[in-house]
Amino acid sequence: MLPQGIKIYLLLAAVFLVGCSGSIGGGGELAINDDVAKSLCVVDTPIRRLTRFEYNNTVRDLLGDATGPADVLPPEEEVAGFNNQAAALTSSDLLIEQYMKVAEDVGARAVLDIDALLPTCDPGLDGNDTCALTFIRDFGRRAFRRPLSQIEVERLKGVFDWAVTDPDLGRFEDGIQVVIEAALQSPSFLYRPELGGETPVEGDVVPFTSWEMATKLSYMLWNTMPDAALFAAAEADELTTKEQIAAQATRMLDDDKARDLIRNFHTQWLLLTHLDSVTKDTSVYPAFDDSLRPLWTEEIQAFVEYVILEGDGSLRTLLTADYSFMNEQLASFYGDDVTGSVTGPEFRQVQLDPDRRAGFLTSAGLMATHANVNQSSPVFRGKFVREQLMCNTLPLPPNDLVIEPPELDPEKTTKEQFEEIGANPACAGCHTLMNPIGFIFENYDGTGQWRDQQNGKDIDATGEVVQTDDIDGVYDGAVELAIALAGSTQVQECVSSQWFRFAYNRTVTSEDSCSVEQLNDVFRASDFNIRALLVALTQTNAFLYRRAVDLQPEAGGAQ
Amino acid sequence: MKRIKRRAMLKGTILGGTVAIGLPMLDAMLPRTGAAQTGTAPKRIVFWFTANGTRQDIWSPPGNMDLSAHPLHAALAPLSNKLIFLDGVDQEVAYDSIGDGHQTGIACALTNAEILPGTLFCEGSCDEGQEQYVGWGGGQSVDQYIADEIAKDVVTKFKSLELGVQVKSSSVWSRMSYSAPDQPVPPREDPNQNFTDFFSDIESDPFALKLIQRKRKSVLDAVMEDHAAFQNRLGYDDKQKLDKHLQSIRDLETRLEVTTNFGEACATPELNLPGSSFQQNDMYPVTGKAQMDMLVMALACDLTRVASLQWSRSVSGVRFNWVPQVLDESHHGLSHYDDGNGSAKADLLEINKWYSEQFAYLLGLMDGIQEGDNTLLDNTVVVWVNELGKGNTHTRRDIPFILAGGCQGYFNTGQHIDFGGEPHGKLLVSLTHAMGKPVNSFGVSQYSQGPLSGLDT
Repeated sequence: MLPQGIKIYLLLAAVFLVGCSGSIGGGGELAINDDVAKSLCVVDTPIRRLTRFEYNNTVRDLLGDATGPADVLPPEEEVAGFNNQAAALTSSDLLIEQYMKVAEDVGARAVLDIDALLPTCDPGLDGNDTCALTFIRDFGRRAFRRPLSQIEVERLKGVFDWAVTDPDLGRFEDGIQVVIEAALQSPSFLYRPELGGETPVEGDVVPFTSWEMATKLSYMLWNTMPDAALFAAAEADELTTKEQIAAQATRMLDDDKARDLIRNFHTQWLLLTHLDSVTKDTSVYPAFDDSLRPLWTEEIQAFVEYVILEGDGSLRTLLTADYSFMNEQLASFYGDDVTGSVTGPEFRQVQLDPDRRAGFLTSAGLMATHANVNQSSPVFRGKFVREQLMCNTLPLPPNDLVIEPPELDPEKTTKEQFEEIGANPACAGCHTLMNPIGFIFENYDGTGQWRDQQNGKDIDATGEVVQTDDIDGVYDGAVELAIALAGSTQVQECVSSQWFRFAYNRTVTSEDSCSVEQLNDVFRASDFNIRALLVALTQTNAFLYRRAVDLQPEAGGAQ
Repeated sequence: MKRIKRRAMLKGTILGGTVAIGLPMLDAMLPRTGAAQTGTAPKRIVFWFTANGTRQDIWSPPGNMDLSAHPLHAALAPLSNKLIFLDGVDQEVAYDSIGDGHQTGIACALTNAEILPGTLFCEGSCDEGQEQYVGWGGGQSVDQYIADEIAKDVVTKFKSLELGVQVKSSSVWSRMSYSAPDQPVPPREDPNQNFTDFFSDIESDPFALKLIQRKRKSVLDAVMEDHAAFQNRLGYDDKQKLDKHLQSIRDLETRLEVTTNFGEACATPELNLPGSSFQQNDMYPVTGKAQMDMLVMALACDLTRVASLQWSRSVSGVRFNWVPQVLDESHHGLSHYDDGNGSAKADLLEINKWYSEQFAYLLGLMDGIQEGDNTLLDNTVVVWVNELGKGNTHTRRDIPFILAGGCQGYFNTGQHIDFGGEPHGKLLVSLTHAMGKPVNSFGVSQYSQGPLSGLDT
């Protein structure tokens, strides 16, 4: 028996509160008052540890080491849908041990080309100490993303001195190597502290320093350390106004490094890592083989990257475009859905049959991931749309329910079989939310190939979507549904909140209401342009300010 | 000036190839502590995890403990006098806890604590106010408790070793060890990396080893100073986070100088390392064997006294392609079919039999290592843990626990006991007693009032 009254929790991603006061810095009283920060949508900003992805990108930009050395670190905890959430990036003994070994490897590789590390100083001419200090200051500033204090310089110099005086080491390079090792294990490298300046603008609300802002922008929009232009802006203290910050954000989105951001976000939001383990029963799907998996992934990645960074940037286009990116093998898998011919292994833009395909949603990769090994899965597809695109939270199936997909019945279509199961009153409560959405995708088989018939019967790709904010109704086929989703406020605000979580490395709290409202306003005003949303993410109070660091435990907190 | 290239230290790791290094006996590498000095072999404990329940209908051994014709456990027949099969032990705490069957099954298995509330593991909206989802496990796990206690007596190279075979993801579904509530311990999944981490000390040039230790100490000293200064600027919550990081560095430095204990049986294992493909489904058996080989040698060399080997994770999706009879469907998928589905039942038999064969391989290796009058297995207790009793019902009652090895005579092995519904927390208490670190209860005390009776001699 099922417990009665399983509730469906629908997120209204819209604003919780209205009437937040808009701007900061009007010369109000400087009283320490929680209410001030809350009313301004300003929260604490936790320090956050670099993810493996960010670590790899950072040593690439810091030392030219593109070997992906952080791949050996333990994987990040995947929480709230993303692997970059500050609350979950804790440490472990194993992580700390591996940090040491990774730093040793990176350091050893870096000093193989010592001249590249020290373009302006020659130890033979200028002396070891002078060059060591030059390196420590320059490298340290880039590694810690701020100038080093004199104590920090001396500390690293002490490590250098140890190495050059050790009887078994002694070379200048050895000294530089251990400086790199020590810097890469420092919390100033491994974490992103965003403590804010010392002077509150109002209440206990403080802005970030220009150095912190350079780092915030860089990891948010590039998933790596700041470049020379950001460092120069920080040095000149030119990252303090909204206009300065927006100008940098706009510049950064035009840079190739923004591709890392777009790919990383969509890998996680669209659950593309699940694609790596997709397998199919080849007696049912002879066209499937393992070499398709990376092509399916690349199709989606190339598409979202193009739309957002080179195309019109619109969420509508992501959901409804009648074009995609393919190479010869993939185009041949799609068959008649692709107009014209594609040759060779390179991916390029192709025109799709607009009656059959729409945006990323109907891509073979997504369709195949959200399917069973030998049949499509209306349940999985409906669940994907509900959770990832509409931000619905679906309850888990009851603990002791025996769940299994129906056996293949050669007399029936998948839809007919799932309709029988869905009619069971024990299941209907939740499955009316998922299955009918899945039915709308029934033209795509378990590998995402188009089909008009199944088991000799015509496909019926109609389904009734219920319990949404604004797109309830009957739809016939995924192209129709995709157009509806693109126009749905619920979907638009869901996408905005997914980006919020990913970009700010945390979930939305009730104190974020005015920032959320501001993001949704800008997103709407830009006709749902993702680039505009990304710039807007640098303009909220949630991004620009924090509450001053509280050095005491909160009352009632941990002891 | 003598200069030693660090690369020379790593010559043992030839990815994809067979690796073996001869054993030098050098004074410089003798341990500061360990079995060789105390004269008696230490007790050890190993946790062994497999997922998705078992075939409960055929799992129990016959009354005479003759396993030679057992459908699942025939491979364990030669060792049956060193085993205890536990029937009727329930993970009762899981039924009080929030979280789904698999989440509670693995997170409560070694903690006997309820899962913490939170929104970490959520789908769809993860925003405030949507809090029916869960956080991490809510207590220290018994392996970590025992490791902490042992660390008060003796410093081994590793306080504990957590090995994994294709655990892959990191979530409440995939962690069974916790250093504290909310602090999951990730397993070491890369056998290539493990080989270097465990055995690179066994190096023909002791001067190179000394140099590495010296260098690490020098670097870590600076890093710790950096940490101390850094933390002064942080708020309270962030400071807590960094405290743990700093503690790990201190711990690492303490263990730097502890080197391999060259006991009689301690040697670098000959391995067939899987190279970079260790996470590929079809390499599951090869990766697993390499991890088992290294685990046993790590124990023989006294690198640690507390270890675990976690095969995959709860909700394991491994496809057992290498067992010819089994459908190319994931273990989790297969575990969900109705009891009436003969094909799925046959597949689950093959899968659980395969795991039993791996268990027999590990125990066989351990029993082949002589330590005085005992074998390594006799000095150890190996605990087979599963997050469920059975996959299709998600029951966490009648979990298929097996104990192997007597832990130096503590356990009365060679028997099958039906406890008829005792909470599994009592088993965890028994394990603390066996290891000489006894507690009266572990985790939720209601479900861990003293040890299970009948297990000890």
